[in-house]
Amino acid sequence: MLVNSVIIVLREVLEATLMISVLLAVSRPLQLASRWLAAGLALGLVGAAAYGYFLGPVSNLFDGVGQELVNALLQFGTYAALLLIVFLIARQGSQPYRNSRVLPTAMSTAIALAAAREGSEILVFVTGFLHMDNFMPSVGLGSFAGAAIGCSIGVLFYYFLLAMPVRRTLRIALALLALAAAGMSAQATRLLIQADWISVAGPLWDSSGFIAEDSLPGQLLYALVGYEATPSATEALVYTASIALMALSIFLGFRAAGQVPTRVQ
Amino acid sequence: MLKSDSRPGARCWLISIALGLAVAAHAATPEFEIEIRNHLFEPDVLVIPAHTKVKLIVFNRDPTPEEFESFELNREKVIMGGSKAIIFIGPLPPGEYPFFGEFNPATALGRIVVQDDGDAG
Repeated sequence: MLVNSVIIVLREVLEATLMISVLLAVSRPLQLASRWLAAGLALGLVGAAAYGYFLGPVSNLFDGVGQELVNALLQFGTYAALLLIVFLIARQGSQPYRNSRVLPTAMSTAIALAAAREGSEILVFVTGFLHMDNFMPSVGLGSFAGAAIGCSIGVLFYYFLLAMPVRRTLRIALALLALAAAGMSAQATRLLIQADWISVAGPLWDSSGFIAEDSLPGQLLYALVGYEATPSATEALVYTASIALMALSIFLGFRAAGQVPTRVQ
Repeated sequence: MLKSDSRPGARCWLISIALGLAVAAHAATPEFEIEIRNHLFEPDVLVIPAHTKVKLIVFNRDPTPEEFESFELNREKVIMGGSKAIIFIGPLPPGEYPFFGEFNPATALGRIVVQDDGDAG
């Protein structure tokens, strides 16, 4: 039970922690106060509690696929927030960001949506064992350890990103956010397939012999770029289109930065 | 005369189309059921036809929640205690696709065996 709890919580928090690390690393050169993180996490926790509490009735909506639809909506929402975030970061360059509240609000939104989705699952898992006294200590301890490992990986990743020159940090952050966001939109598509809202023809390829999804590199790649060993053509197409759209957003941001006259110095 | 002769034929034709559609609609998504009891899947092996989308209904008879999860099937769904979940699977090529209960992975193990029609039975 102990190891199981560690793995479950670690898997759930990893995706959010890596996204938080990248956004925090970007906030440094932009001199963005990290209030957005506290706001996003607080909002996400409230969302997770509400979603976890009502998961039963929500699952029964839409002929029993309410859970898939809500999760897909949260994933697509995170994608949309990240689409705006990469544009604003690219437009900003490495100049301090003092223009508006749009970027921090978009960051809070992305974190809140991700935390609500992943947090609700952790909550359902932990509360499911509440009335079994003998299980509770190991579940509590394991969940804490899982969350701690996830946060440690996030902290390491944060300092790894900040150890580079600012321009490179920003470029790598933009690339990582684009890949992570595309992974989320592919996951959302997979949920719509699971709900039978989208029909597919079967897997396009099978790379599980190369990198298995349940292996350590598979799990890390899943959290980072949404790795999937047996995607359908639809998922591959959505993933590619999502990356293209992110790239376009980044390009437009860079172009806007080039065209906008130099700010007051 | 010709008219009244052709009518029963047309009606028969329509009825057979309607029946055919009903059968096709039914056959399009065959349904399979699995139960979770004491953190075990019942049955733990499920044979489904190849290259066909199926509707899987998972009943969680335990009071605790479970998460139906499979890396091979690309499926993941939380099923609250004492409730059921609908999960669409496939179409898939023949093969074995393990699944597990993420909240109780030591005991809640099963697999879906996808077979061509000729291999079944």
